[in-house]
Amino acid sequence: MKWLGLILALLAATLAAIVLGPASVPAGELLHSPIFWELRLPRALLGLLVGGSLGVAGASLQSLVRNPLADPFLLGLSGGAGLGAVSAIALHLGGAWTLPLAAFAGALLALGLVFRLGLVAGSVLDPRVLLLGGVAVGAFCGAVTTAIVTLAEASELRNAFLWLWGGLSGASWQTVTLMAVYVPLPLVVLLAAARPLDLLTLGEEPARHLGADVLATRRRVYLAASLLTAAAVAVTGVIGFVGLIVPHLGRALFGGRHRVLLPASFLAGGILLVLADTLARTAVAPRELPVGIVTALVGVPLFVLLLRRWTAD
Amino acid sequence: MRRWASLFAVLALTCRATDRGAAAGPAHRIVSLAPSITELLFALGAGGQVVGRTVYCLYPPAARAVPSVGDGLNPSVEAVAARHPDLVVLYRSPQTEMAARQLEALGIRTMMLRHDRLEDVARTAQRLGRATGHAATGDSIARTIDSLLAPPIPVPAVRIAYVVWDAPPIVIGGGSFLDELAARAGAANVFHDLSTPSATVAIETIASRDPDWIAIVRDSAGAPPPAWAARREWRTIRAVREGRFLVLPADLFGQPSPRAPEAVALMRQLLSR
Amino acid sequence: MDRGLILDVRDVSFRYAGATRDALAGVSLAVSAGEFVALLGPNGSGKTTLVRVALGLHAPRAGTATVLGRPAGEWPRQALARVVGVVPQREDNLFPQRVRETVRLGRYPHLGAWTAERAEDRAAVEQALERCDVAGLADRWLWALSGGEYQRVRIARALAQEPQLLVLDEPTASLDLRHEMELFELVRGLVDGQGLAAVLVTHDVNLAARFADRLVLLADGVVRAAGSPADVLRRDIAEAVFGWPLTISSVDDRPQLTPLRRR
Repeated sequence: MKWLGLILALLAATLAAIVLGPASVPAGELLHSPIFWELRLPRALLGLLVGGSLGVAGASLQSLVRNPLADPFLLGLSGGAGLGAVSAIALHLGGAWTLPLAAFAGALLALGLVFRLGLVAGSVLDPRVLLLGGVAVGAFCGAVTTAIVTLAEASELRNAFLWLWGGLSGASWQTVTLMAVYVPLPLVVLLAAARPLDLLTLGEEPARHLGADVLATRRRVYLAASLLTAAAVAVTGVIGFVGLIVPHLGRALFGGRHRVLLPASFLAGGILLVLADTLARTAVAPRELPVGIVTALVGVPLFVLLLRRWTAD
Repeated sequence: MRRWASLFAVLALTCRATDRGAAAGPAHRIVSLAPSITELLFALGAGGQVVGRTVYCLYPPAARAVPSVGDGLNPSVEAVAARHPDLVVLYRSPQTEMAARQLEALGIRTMMLRHDRLEDVARTAQRLGRATGHAATGDSIARTIDSLLAPPIPVPAVRIAYVVWDAPPIVIGGGSFLDELAARAGAANVFHDLSTPSATVAIETIASRDPDWIAIVRDSAGAPPPAWAARREWRTIRAVREGRFLVLPADLFGQPSPRAPEAVALMRQLLSR
Repeated sequence: MDRGLILDVRDVSFRYAGATRDALAGVSLAVSAGEFVALLGPNGSGKTTLVRVALGLHAPRAGTATVLGRPAGEWPRQALARVVGVVPQREDNLFPQRVRETVRLGRYPHLGAWTAERAEDRAAVEQALERCDVAGLADRWLWALSGGEYQRVRIARALAQEPQLLVLDEPTASLDLRHEMELFELVRGLVDGQGLAAVLVTHDVNLAARFADRLVLLADGVVRAAGSPADVLRRDIAEAVFGWPLTISSVDDRPQLTPLRRR
C-alpha cells in the first residue's frame, strides 16, 4: 500500500515537472514542443536519478558512520568537487564537459583522502574517523577553493560558486544517459549490502557475531555511496538536505530494514528533488531559485509531520 | 533647463551628505576601487592622480601601470592605506561601507558611488570631476551621456537577451546599464521586466521569450561562440540554433562607462549586419 | 573427538598487542551439547578474551581453538553464526527498532544477500520469541522495554540463529533480582529442553553455581579451578581468587559464597 503511494507520488511529481514551468506551454502542444523533449523531460529524469542517488547514499552512509545526522556531503566530497571545478576554471580549461569532469575528479580525490584517513591501524575503516576525516577534508578543500577564487583573476570564478550551489539547469539527454548508465552498479552494490548494513546498526561486535564481514561491508558501502554522491555533485553541484532528510522519511514510513529502506530512499529522494526543482522553476518565475533552498523548505515540514506521527506511536 | 537645475540641487544635497571634506580641494592621490571608477578617472584626465586601482581595473591600458591594491568589493584597508591616498573612491555595497568606515577612521577621505545605470554615470562623472579638479571635463562627460539619454527610447527593432553565465543560466535584467545600452541601440532586452541587474533563469524561459540575438560580453571582439552553445539543451533557443551571437567587447560593455555613446553605436552597427 | 563436543579450546595463550603480560596463559575449555558452563572470575581475569579466542576473533599465540572440530579462525563468518549464537555485552542500537525486527536479524546467517525470507525463517523467529517468552512484546519498540525484557529479546535473536551453542557475555549485569532469575531459568530451560550448549560469562557466582553444570574459574588469565560447582567453589580457592574472606553455605545442594564483613 505504501509502495503504491510512493509510485503514485513519483508519477505525480514527474508529471508536474514536465507540465509546469516558467514557459507556458499548452498541454496539447507539449509533445511537439522542444521545451518538453529537450529541457523538461531530461530535467525531470535527471532530478529522479540525482535525488535518488543522494537519498540512497544518505541512507547507507548514515548507517555506516552510525550518525543519523550524516549527509552524503559530510564526507568531504562537496569540498573536493568545488575545488576541482574552481581549479578548472582558474586554469582556463575550456570544453563543455570540463566542469563536471573536474568536479568528479576533485570528489574522487577527496574520497581517496578520507578513505586513507579512515584506515585506522592499517586496515580497519573506522566510522568515526571517516566522519571526522570527511569534515576535515571538506573544510580544507573549501578553504583552498576560496583562496583560489580570491587570488585568481578570472572573473568567471565568481560564478563558479553559483554552480556549486547546485541545480538541475545543466540537465540534458547526455547527462541523463550518463547518470542512467553509471548509477546501477553502485546501487546494486548497496542493495547487496542491505543485510550486512542491518547488522551493522547493532554495532560492530554483534554484527560480526551474526555473520557480517564488517570490513568488507564498510569498504563497499563507503565506496559505492561516495561514487554515487560524486557523480551527483559533478552533474548538479551540491544539493544539500536531500541525503540528510530522505533516509529519515524512509525510515518513518518503511522502517529501518535496508532492503526496503534503500529502494524507498531512492524513490523518495527522486520525488523530493523533482518537486523541489519544479517549485524552484515556477515559484518566482521568470526567475529561478537555487534548488538547495527549496529542498530544505519542502523537506523540513514533511519531516516534522512524519516525526510527530512517529513519536506519537 | 529647469529640470537640470533641480537635479543639481538634489545632487548638491546628497553630495554634502556623503562628501566629507569636499571643500578641502582637489584630490591628488586617489585610490579607485572599481573598474568603472578607474575608467572614469582617466576619462576625466585625472589619470595621473590615480595611485591605486583594483586588480580588475584593466581599462584604459594606461591604468595597468598603476599599482594594484587587490580586490575592490572586499578591499584590503591596509593595502589601500599603504598608497597614502587623500581620496578613496568605492563602489557602494555593504562590504565597502565597512571598509569606508575603517578608512575614515584612519583619516582618509572616502567617496561612495553607485552607478548601475547610465544616468548615474553622468552624475558620478560630475562628482568625481569636482573632487579631482577636472570639473569642466566632468560636466562635459555628463552632457554627452545626458544627450544620449535625452531623446526618447527608439522603438525596438530586435529583441535580445544577454547571457553572462550558463551553469546556472544568468541573464541581465532591467536594472543594468547593459539593458539601457541595448534599448538605445534599438534592441529590447527580453528580460527588461526583471528589475535587478542580473537574474538566474531557466533555459526554457529564454527559449520561450525567443530573443533574436544572444548578447555575450567577451574580452575580444572576435571571440568564437561560447562552449555552451553546442549543447543540446541550449539549442532549444532559436538564436543559439541560428548562431546569432552578438559578441560585445568587455572594454566597452564590461562596466558602465563614459564611452556609452560609442558602445551604443557599436551595438547598432553589429545589429544591422 | 567426542560426540557432541562443540567448543574445544586447548592450552591457549594470548596477549593483546602492546600488553606487558598474557591475557590468557595455558587456558583450556571444552563445551559439549546439553552442557551449561559458566565462566567466572574477577574483572580482567580474561573471561571475555577467552570467549573471543574460542570463537576465532583473535588468533592465539599458542594452543588451539576449534569449533565442531574445525579451527575457529577458519570458520567462514556466516557459517559460524549458524552454529554459535552470541549475546555480547554491549550493543548499541542506532535507530529505533521493534522486537520482531531485531529478532529477525538472527536469521541473517541463514540468508544470502539476495534470498528472500522463507516460511521456515518466519517460523524460527516466532519460535524464538515464544521460547524466550517475549512473543507478546513482538510489536513493541526496543526502547520501551525494561532491561530484563530487552535481554530476553537479545537471547531470542541468538536463538533465531538456530545455534548449537549459546554464548552470553554478562547478560545479567544490570538486571534486578527477578529478571536475573528469569534469565538464568530461561538459559537452563533452553539447555534442558533444546539440548543446546551454553557458555555464560557472569559475575554472579552464586546463581552460576545454582544453574550451571560446570564452572570455570579464571584469574589473571589462568584457570584456577574447573569442574562441578562443588569442586570449584571451595573456600580456599575462592578466597584466593576473589581476595576476600568468604563463607560457604548450600542451597539446592549447590555451594553459595557469602563474603564476610571486615571486622
